[in-house]
Amino acid sequence: MAPVVKGVNPKQRQYEAMVRALSADLYRYAFWLSRSETVAQDLVQETFLRAWKNLDALRDAESAKPWLFTILRRENARLYERKRFDTVELDDSVVEDTAFASPERSGDAAQVREAILKLPEKYRDPLAMQVLGGMTGDEIAERTGQQPGAVTTQLFRARQRLKDLLGGRALAEGSRK
Amino acid sequence: MNCLDFRRRIGAEPRSRDPELIAHRDTCKDGCAAFWQRAQRFEDDLEAAMAVPVPDGLADRILLAQATGERRGQVVRRRVWMAMAASLLIAFMGAGMFWRHADLNSLPALAVAHMPGELDALNLTRPMTDAQVEAGFLGRSATLKGPAPGGVTYVHDCMVGTHAAVHLVTRMNDEPVVALYMPGTMSEATIDFHRDGWDGRQIALSGGTLVVLAQGASRQTMDAVARGWRDAIEGSGAPVVGRI
Repeated sequence: MAPVVKGVNPKQRQYEAMVRALSADLYRYAFWLSRSETVAQDLVQETFLRAWKNLDALRDAESAKPWLFTILRRENARLYERKRFDTVELDDSVVEDTAFASPERSGDAAQVREAILKLPEKYRDPLAMQVLGGMTGDEIAERTGQQPGAVTTQLFRARQRLKDLLGGRALAEGSRK
Repeated sequence: MNCLDFRRRIGAEPRSRDPELIAHRDTCKDGCAAFWQRAQRFEDDLEAAMAVPVPDGLADRILLAQATGERRGQVVRRRVWMAMAASLLIAFMGAGMFWRHADLNSLPALAVAHMPGELDALNLTRPMTDAQVEAGFLGRSATLKGPAPGGVTYVHDCMVGTHAAVHLVTRMNDEPVVALYMPGTMSEATIDFHRDGWDGRQIALSGGTLVVLAQGASRQTMDAVARGWRDAIEGSGAPVVGRI
């Protein structure tokens, strides 16, 4: 049976489709930016609410994901600015326990995740944009206001640092030669 | 492209499908294909690690928040519209009441409202003398600068609303025409009106206002009486105030 769409305006349909298609990747990006499941959820909520208000600015479906990533980055920066003044500084490598608590999060993936969390934000952010957002180095440069060469260096170093952090662990590159 | 460039590029963008990279990978004899394979496997692991589980019902919660916000916005917008509509209605009602108040206090309205108590004067036929007419004007501290029109059958000092007036009836072509001259009551324009069965004309003069009224009189008669009284009050050479 065809979905009931009568009475739902095109903007609402576009928005719902966008939420269903992109909320998972956006959440993951938010998680790697904030390193917190609860903050990530708040960021995604805020991002989509802001996106709803500015949906007319979205010209084509292809640019929806980078557009949302950009909004989320700004929301995160805003949140960080707000929290900077009213929170006690903690060890920034501390992550919520629940993030890796379930069985499916154990093993290699969990170790890689821990390594990713240890990356400085300047490496972790472009890496997440590339891996989760599917953006090229040039697109990341455009979205973050950096030179393409600088972004390429960050992406290269992010992977190198990950390999260093994982060391002799049985990661694909080492174990499956 | 040499091997160093290739490995730098793949190190930064392992999933790149740049034809230059693919061509080097497929032709290099120094292990770049194996390097590429290892990079792809590393990337697979990286993607799997970054794909953290998404909380259940996240999309639905986002949509619920948006729908709730939108619904709340609609209620607020509806209230704003209703308040604006109510304000507009009150403004219209206020304007209507103001207009009605202004209309009821206009000279035409006051003149017509004055007439029911003076209907008997319309039936008088005996002409009055010039002295009687002049005395009527003197009663209101006004003097005539020219001869009064012929056929004046009634002169009386009256109050039209709060305006002191000389009430005159002129019979012309056997049609009674009322003239109410209110010295000192200034108006800016000459206007014709029809109100409660009376045809009338409000004429702005230099020292007051003349209102001419008749029921069923011809326009020529009205014009002649109006002109006759204006000439009498202001003199025949006086400039016409307001509309001609």
